[in-house]
Amino acid sequence: MSEQKMPMIGIPRAMLYYRYGPLWERFFQVLGVSTLLSPPSSRGILEAGARLAPDESCLSLKMLMGHVETLIGRCNCIFIPRYSNYGYTELFCTRYEGIYDQARNIFRSSGQRFITCNIDAQNGFPEAKAFEQFGVELGFTAKESRRAWREASRALEQRKKAEDRSQKELAGKPGIKVLAAGHSYILSDPYLGKPILDNLDAAGVVTLRADALEPETARKACARFSPTCRWIVSEEIVGGVLLWKEKADGIILVSAFPCGPDSMTNELLIRRIRGVPILTLVLDAQSGMAGIETRIESFLDIIRFQKGAMV
Amino acid sequence: MKQHRKVALPRYGEYNCALKYIVEQGFETECILPPPLSRRTEDLGARNSPDLVCTPFKTTLGSMIEALEAGADTIIMVHGACRLNYFGELQEQILRDLGYHFDFINLSLFNTGKKRDILRALRAINPRRSMIRAGRSLYEAARMVEHLDDTTSFYYQNCGFDPTGQYRKIYWRFISDMYAAQSLPDIQEGYRNAVRAFEDVALSKPPDPIRIGIIGDYYTVMDPFSNLEIEQKLADMGVEVHRLMNITNDMLRNSNKNKQAKIREFSEFSMGASSTTDIWQAQNFAERNFDGLIQVKSACCMPETDIMPVLANLSQDYKIPVLYLTYDSQTSDVGLMTRLEAFYDMVEMRRKVTL
Repeated sequence: MSEQKMPMIGIPRAMLYYRYGPLWERFFQVLGVSTLLSPPSSRGILEAGARLAPDESCLSLKMLMGHVETLIGRCNCIFIPRYSNYGYTELFCTRYEGIYDQARNIFRSSGQRFITCNIDAQNGFPEAKAFEQFGVELGFTAKESRRAWREASRALEQRKKAEDRSQKELAGKPGIKVLAAGHSYILSDPYLGKPILDNLDAAGVVTLRADALEPETARKACARFSPTCRWIVSEEIVGGVLLWKEKADGIILVSAFPCGPDSMTNELLIRRIRGVPILTLVLDAQSGMAGIETRIESFLDIIRFQKGAMV
Repeated sequence: MKQHRKVALPRYGEYNCALKYIVEQGFETECILPPPLSRRTEDLGARNSPDLVCTPFKTTLGSMIEALEAGADTIIMVHGACRLNYFGELQEQILRDLGYHFDFINLSLFNTGKKRDILRALRAINPRRSMIRAGRSLYEAARMVEHLDDTTSFYYQNCGFDPTGQYRKIYWRFISDMYAAQSLPDIQEGYRNAVRAFEDVALSKPPDPIRIGIIGDYYTVMDPFSNLEIEQKLADMGVEVHRLMNITNDMLRNSNKNKQAKIREFSEFSMGASSTTDIWQAQNFAERNFDGLIQVKSACCMPETDIMPVLANLSQDYKIPVLYLTYDSQTSDVGLMTRLEAFYDMVEMRRKVTL
């Protein structure tokens, strides 16, 4: 394949892709840049990532590095945006700040080009401006980039609204309802979180998701509950838990080993929320599902027992 | 609001002398020093903390429990650039769940980027004290921190070559002077005494000693208990130990504003918290032809884990060996000793080969 025939930009299907994917894809689509998305997560991808990333980093980072590896040599450059902050008190986990440079260092010998979009409002790059500059770097005019970003952010908003709507429909359904709370890149990942959700489906339980909620509403709820929680993504999860918990019969906190923000926010949730059974599942690079199945099963038994459905 | 508080801050290296100075001189409030960190502190902290949180959270929580046992009724917790922002809120919740009654001043609540909130934080500690006095104590405490960091750096660079054992005595006398200081002249006198006393000791230092640079996360690398006294252990092997990571270099003097530009090749953007400083320091040590580099980090520290691939590349480019150390709630330093000895042997052998 010649240089020109290769897609311009490779996007790893991991981490913030599950949150901002529609935005990025629409942005490139409007600008007419060809993209290549890495294949859905699999055991092989995770194992490759675990070999590449530092041993102690989180499962999601290992997964990301595995996805990056599948793109090496198959596109002109790999897109890893750097989400740092939206303002003084609106932060992201430090890991998202570092992934671009970390990937550059891990894959240094491959000669692969990486490209980033630096979203850092504290240093003068709020999201709109960051994408404008990113578009300019790709060789488009500022006007074109702005237009692309506007359309892209509308696409993201629409998806959020759709998620919110479908969630509300789900919440109206009869039967036992369980609220799954965790980063979207864990819950939606076909290798990490999907088996858990499938398991719940198979057990005939309605699964609500804490991250399917309009971000602003969720963050307001979190600010009252935990004023110094400043990771936007965690705020949304915590807010989602608070707003949906009345509808749910039980909460499952799904986290990856050793997720920094989750290690603290989940502890706070467990300590401050009363009256709802909570199960914490920490996913590791294990391959078997049996342990998790057993835990979900007994958790559902507790819920059924509480509701008097099991005597 | 209470007028006679007994304020405590968790232990953080020897910096508590400056924190105590601010509370006592600036706010005229009694300061309770928690007992020195010990196995018990760590056990108390680890038992009551979530498993996957970093070790400094556990250690500071343990220190807070010991401070409350020692009679403190108000605890102040600082904020920072990583998870540290969230330490206070969770630690307060854990302590309340344990049944302690106390006031908690969480500086993270006031860290909103507005200057007004900084004043509010100062008033929360003692509403009746003058801001001028508080401001002056902050300035004087900053001088104390500078002297402390300068003395500490000097001590670890030289104490390995002192055959008499005088250095250690002088250093610890200086530390206790700082804890006892009541005014700026006290601080300066303590510092001058230490400098003079150090000068009087004859060192047997070779012209080209083995030099090892230490970098690491903000808490573990600066707290001798948490890093199992790694600096003293190395110095005792006859190493000149350098550590640029301290409060003075990172906050007070901040003489290198363009660190990110200097390490551009390795890291274009900040990777969070101490990462830029750490990478820059590692590069600085490497450029100065140090014999080795040690990264001291607590388990689960996010920014420090993220810079490991950078350090690996730096090590390759500059041909400098790096030892990565991860500290958890360890109960013994035998493992550390073995690794340090092996690292020292390797560094020493490398010298013979390259010379």
